[in-house]
Amino acid sequence: MNILLKLIVLIVPAIFIFLFFIILTNEDVYPGADYDQFELPDFELKDLDDSKRISIDFIEGDYVLNVWASWCITCIVEHPYLMNLSKTGVPVIGLNYKDEKQDAIVWLKKYGNPYQTILHDYKGNLALDLGVTGAPETFLINNGEIVAHYQGEVNDRIWNDVFMPIIKDRKMF
Amino acid sequence: MIIEISHFLSILATGLFFLVGYFSIFTPSSNSNYLSSLITRTYSQGFFFLFFSFLIYVWLAITDNFNVAYIANHSNTALPTFYKITSIWSAHEGSMFLWIVFLSLWGFIFNIRVNNNEILKPKSMGIISFILVGFLVFLLATSNPFVTILPIPPLNGADINPVLQDPALAIHPPTLYLGYVGFVIPFACAIAFLLHGDSEINWEALVKKWSVSAWVFLTIGITLGSWWAYYELGWGGYWFWDPVENVALMPWLAATAFIHSLGVSIKSSQLRIWTILLSILVFSLSLFGAFIVRSGIIDSVHSFANDPDRGLYLLGFIGLIVFTSVFLFVWRLSSIKSSSVIKKFSKQSFISINNILFGTLIFSVMLGVTYPLIYEFLFDQKISVGAPFYNAIFIPVVVLASIFLFFSVDSKWSRSINFEFFTAPIFLSAALSLALTFFVMQFFNTQSISILASIFAGSLIIFRYIYEIINFLFKKKYVNPFSVIAHMSLGLLLVSISFNSLLSTERALSIDINSMEEYKDLKIFFEDIGVENNSNYDSIQASFLVEDQNGRAFNLKPEKRRYFTRGQITTETAIHVTALRDIYITIGDQLDDGSWVVNVQINYLIRWIWFSALLMGFAGIILVFSKRVKA
Repeated sequence: MNILLKLIVLIVPAIFIFLFFIILTNEDVYPGADYDQFELPDFELKDLDDSKRISIDFIEGDYVLNVWASWCITCIVEHPYLMNLSKTGVPVIGLNYKDEKQDAIVWLKKYGNPYQTILHDYKGNLALDLGVTGAPETFLINNGEIVAHYQGEVNDRIWNDVFMPIIKDRKMF
Repeated sequence: MIIEISHFLSILATGLFFLVGYFSIFTPSSNSNYLSSLITRTYSQGFFFLFFSFLIYVWLAITDNFNVAYIANHSNTALPTFYKITSIWSAHEGSMFLWIVFLSLWGFIFNIRVNNNEILKPKSMGIISFILVGFLVFLLATSNPFVTILPIPPLNGADINPVLQDPALAIHPPTLYLGYVGFVIPFACAIAFLLHGDSEINWEALVKKWSVSAWVFLTIGITLGSWWAYYELGWGGYWFWDPVENVALMPWLAATAFIHSLGVSIKSSQLRIWTILLSILVFSLSLFGAFIVRSGIIDSVHSFANDPDRGLYLLGFIGLIVFTSVFLFVWRLSSIKSSSVIKKFSKQSFISINNILFGTLIFSVMLGVTYPLIYEFLFDQKISVGAPFYNAIFIPVVVLASIFLFFSVDSKWSRSINFEFFTAPIFLSAALSLALTFFVMQFFNTQSISILASIFAGSLIIFRYIYEIINFLFKKKYVNPFSVIAHMSLGLLLVSISFNSLLSTERALSIDINSMEEYKDLKIFFEDIGVENNSNYDSIQASFLVEDQNGRAFNLKPEKRRYFTRGQITTETAIHVTALRDIYITIGDQLDDGSWVVNVQINYLIRWIWFSALLMGFAGIILVFSKRVKA
């Protein structure tokens, strides 16, 4: 009994401290970021607001494509940052992912709408082509080409560290 | 120039604390009169240096000395003096400084209150001092608040984060810190006890009041934080299982178990191993909280700037403290005499069950905090462990603990309760609670097992203790006021939380100016919206006239503010408080048709939740000031 107790009190903290050490010293600072470049796939989706059909040529220039859904908790956390981003003049296009239209509209009413246009991807077809695994995910698009991709919440730090170098490099926006 | 004096005093204090630690732990005869008075004096001098250094720092903050980089980055000439002071703990370096000053303050009060003849005192002071040295080196080496901007300081500071410009926040971190670091006293005494290795020494009695005091600060600090998040952050609830709420909850749970266990060890020298382990656990969890918040390992409202070096230092330091204590514990385990036979159904047996249940809760919260980190590390994916996980564990365990508590009221120290004990008070309170639960089930038409079980458990405790109070008033039977108040507040807390989750509702409405919407029994009339200019922010202020079913009308004016210096936008809630419910309104954005999104929440009994928690803290204050328990 005593030996068991001794082992437990030694091993349990050791495991936790070891784990935290591994996590802290993990070199890969932004595991959610990748910079694979590829053309934006063809798509034709409906606009969330007025159900107009939108195809690939509808949106021009440089913009940020943000994958979100009303069921996604992290999207609520990310949301104020997107609001600020769109206020600074960066065009943000929403890709509403596997979401009921009505839920999405109520969500936007409640929290506010940072998006210029919202594509309603109910079946997740475009998202599949883009390689989306969940929400939120954010793509940086430069003249129809995807140049950066981040899985997870975008905030000031992620924006500056993951996206800003590419934006400066390509003189976007 | 003055900042260098402050800096230098902190360095001097570090040196003095190191000497105290060295003398007390590594000199063989640390119990000689000469040495113990040397230790006492040196510690006090170290404390005065550190305290004076902090006072200078506060003065520099009040006088807007922007030579100091930290003050320049977190304060502003436009701030009221009160917030100039609180800006010191609005970010990492300054709050770490405050944390250390509080740590040394506990040590100082212990130093002057406890007689030098107390056998454990010199070594305890030494342990406190070494911990202080560890944190001071961390402060000076990795997060120095004394760094200056020379030769030309900025004309004005960058301002404090607006959500922190709030009276509750000004006192919430200091209270919480006082709680966290207060557990250094029981920890240091436990380690000193292990170092001496003499099982006859009664370290438990020495630390009782100190532990309860720290527990009181922790309880009040957590409550204030919960209240602040509710009205200032606009979270609209009392608890969110945010990682940082969790790292404050873990030491609280451990401390609560520790205090119970301590009581047993003092009374009957049982559960001594539990008590020592818990004292180590409480302090380790307090440090773990500091690590989680300051290493940037978790993104949360509370996380400070991300700096891996700080995280590594803290992890190393915590590891050192934890392993030293654990090795000492393992080494001395066989010599700790604890009368191990605990009679079935005695008070001790109930408290050991309580320890196990609390241990389960702590372990689950720990799992909830660390699992997402591990998962993210292994699979590169963020997941969040949320309320459903915690509810699934907390509700049954807390209900179970409450039922054990209910039976333990009749139990006696070191004696089994005989079965005559199924008497009037038990039947009466059980019957009343069942009746109440049944009434709630019918009246509110709910089938939720968790809500009904919590209401039942909470009311069981309340009724049982009401019976005790009646006994006290009419038969003069002795009751322990601390225990009665603390446990009744637990009952009240359970009942309030249950009703809160049963009855509270929210809805996002879109309302036009000069029109009315109805929600539940409320008629909400949108009177006006306008822009107001203030000294350090602009705000959009809406004005609503709300009328409830009784025809009582009141004005609510939620705002959205934009602060100039940081450009940050904050939501200011408007809350109408009554005894039973809060009506809580925030405004969102304007929609294209000109109407505004208005979020309305009706929160039932939410004040009662905080009231019960504060009452629990108040019970602790009674114990600390009561004469019956020896200090």
